[in-house]
Amino acid sequence: MPSPVDLVDLPFLREALFEIVLLSVAGGVVGAWVLLRRLAFYSHAVGSATFPGLVTADATGISPTLLALAVALGYAGGVGAVRAEGERSEAWTALLLVAALATGVILASDVFESGASVDRLLFGTLLGLDASDLWLSGACAVAALAATLAFGRVWAAAGFDPDAAGALGLRTRWADLGLLALVALAAVAAIPAVGALLVSAVFILPAASARLLARSVRGLIGWAVVLALAEGATGLYLAYWLDAPPGPPIAVLGAATYATLAVTAAVSGLRAAAVPA
Amino acid sequence: MSAPRVEVDDLAVGYGGAPALTGVSFTAAAGESVCVLGPNGGGKTTLFRALLGELRPLTGTLSVAARPAYLAQTERTRLDFPVNALDVALMGALAGGPWWRPPSRAAREAAEGALERVGLAGRAGVAFGELSGGERRRALLARALVQDSPVLLLDEPLAGVDPASADLLDSVFRSLRDEGRTLLVSTHDVASAARFDAALCLNGRQVAFGAPAEALTRATLEATYGHELIVLRESGAERMITIQHHHEH
Amino acid sequence: MDLLDPLLDPLRSGIDRRALLEVVLLGSICGALGFWVVVERLAYASESLSHGLLPGLVLAALAGAPLLLGAAAGVAVAAAAIAVAARDPRIGPEAATGVVVTGLVGLGALLALSPDSPQRLEELLFGDPLGVSDSDLIAAAVLAGAGGLTLFALHRPLSATAFDAGGAGALGVRPGLVRLALLGLVAAAVAVAVQGLGALLSLALLVAPALAVRRHAPSAGRALVAGAVVGALAGAAGIYLSHHAGTAAGASVAAALCAAAALGAMPWRRPASARSASA
Repeated sequence: MPSPVDLVDLPFLREALFEIVLLSVAGGVVGAWVLLRRLAFYSHAVGSATFPGLVTADATGISPTLLALAVALGYAGGVGAVRAEGERSEAWTALLLVAALATGVILASDVFESGASVDRLLFGTLLGLDASDLWLSGACAVAALAATLAFGRVWAAAGFDPDAAGALGLRTRWADLGLLALVALAAVAAIPAVGALLVSAVFILPAASARLLARSVRGLIGWAVVLALAEGATGLYLAYWLDAPPGPPIAVLGAATYATLAVTAAVSGLRAAAVPA
Repeated sequence: MSAPRVEVDDLAVGYGGAPALTGVSFTAAAGESVCVLGPNGGGKTTLFRALLGELRPLTGTLSVAARPAYLAQTERTRLDFPVNALDVALMGALAGGPWWRPPSRAAREAAEGALERVGLAGRAGVAFGELSGGERRRALLARALVQDSPVLLLDEPLAGVDPASADLLDSVFRSLRDEGRTLLVSTHDVASAARFDAALCLNGRQVAFGAPAEALTRATLEATYGHELIVLRESGAERMITIQHHHEH
Repeated sequence: MDLLDPLLDPLRSGIDRRALLEVVLLGSICGALGFWVVVERLAYASESLSHGLLPGLVLAALAGAPLLLGAAAGVAVAAAAIAVAARDPRIGPEAATGVVVTGLVGLGALLALSPDSPQRLEELLFGDPLGVSDSDLIAAAVLAGAGGLTLFALHRPLSATAFDAGGAGALGVRPGLVRLALLGLVAAAVAVAVQGLGALLSLALLVAPALAVRRHAPSAGRALVAGAVVGALAGAAGIYLSHHAGTAAGASVAAALCAAAALGAMPWRRPASARSASA
């Protein structure tokens, strides 16, 4: 069992930890809004959809961040375009995701023959994080906080009652587009560390657990950041110990935290109900 | 006199919490039509759902001779689902025959006959979503006709329907009664109540039940509708109408 | 016979023959079932089930047990966990599903990526139609046969429920039971389909054919038949593509299915015969 002090002592782990801290702020803040605005499927899909872009970038040496961002925004546009299809929009969202994954696999295994990197792109890596990843995550954390200060009231009002928000004269359309773009940006920032398939691990899991603890939007954001930090740092240590990519342990820890909180709440709820008033 | 087809005794029903409708007692025999009057939220649809077996009585009893055919008030049909008018009518046969087999020839003939009866014989192959509102109501009535139940529950069947469709629906209702079926028809139209064999007034509880001429006094109507009732005086005679609110969902 | 060689080539190889049979069986039953998946808005649920069964697959692969067994157990666990988590109204079903699926995918990857595991994760994620076993083919055939019969028997209740659940209830159909039966069928199809296309790509079998035919079929029955045909043909086209272009078989099948959906969704004009029939 390696010493947890390695997390700060070893340079590559220190960088990874710094990346996780920045991502926890971005993921916790954005995740709270993803949860409140019911964008969970979108954030998961936008992460996975970047896969072919990542494969291409990985093989050609183009900046993965730029390509992933291009694919993510293209995907967001595609989802926006099929929204009008009603019943079928959900099916098309799902199919776009499968199409992106299939394209990525063909690119990886047959065009660039870079099969070995597929696991890393899907599930993240401890090694090979570079300064630009850290800068992107940092920028994302700052953008998430700034956007929350600027748009938080509009997002909350629109999430609570879209019609009333419109009647109040709030410009929900631009605020909502900003939220979609912020989610896409944060998903791209999260990919190097936790992988395209598991971006939900820093968005949805900490925020869902936080929802069980918090009673206000501010509390939700706070708890989401704290839980994302705790799960991220512990998951990073586990990944180092088990010699695995960091995405999977962070995801498992997040789900376990949620399950524990949900079961505790259910048990105390039962106890409260059993005690006569 | 034959045994009643629908028999309700001191019924109370609700959706959990306080009952939505209490103290309902009435009977309806073969060949009788009952007009169910009441304001929005007065319990008309709740009564129908209880008669359909979807709501369990909190107190009291109810018995219905057979599974009733039902024409719902608000359309919750999927307009984009690929069915035509004949397919919709054929769904009525699900109530009788085995559900796992394709519909029988007899069911097909019944569906074609029902479409003819509601004036849609020439529109059998048209997609349901492309029919007009009145035609859709008629196709759904055809589904109820194919079900061939002795008891029909019609929830505001004429609300929001074009006049031609309304006339046609009305004549089908009359011929159904003449065949000896039992009809319960909820409506907002107090003036039309006189044409029924009996009237049942509901406002969270049963206000009155009886022959329209006796049951529909000004006092009972005021108790039924409260402030939704408007009394018009036309050349000395009183005419009562109600303010209609249609549910939009 | 030169002209036919590209078509006959894969049939002369034992491996490709099995792969073709597998995707044709899976494509036909999933293509038909997909109509109900799209109409009843079960695409996200199907995706979640197919991703969420990953730990079951990995454990079966590690233990040397039949993958189908692992997939079936994985589907059951994922479905139960989603059903429990989705009951909390504070989180909402979508995020609850996301929590469960992310956790399960993470668990599956953790099990598969630890250094002493055999290197089979990519095969489990993206499928390997060229590596199907006899038992995989039997499972696909049983699914196609039993699933087809079930769809035939349930056709009228499913139509009535999808068209108007309230009205179906008044006709004596129990919409809750009908939807449960449909979910069970989807779960069985997902468990079998991952043998061919893996946890991440099998969703294409369920969704793509239905999307390809949805705009063109005038009735539910024809949409099912057309979906089955499109699923089988597009699946076979994917195997041919993989054979001739040398691309990954599972991904080629998924790509062919997605292409079929895109083609079918183009704004083709409705054929004149359909117009005159409805006039």
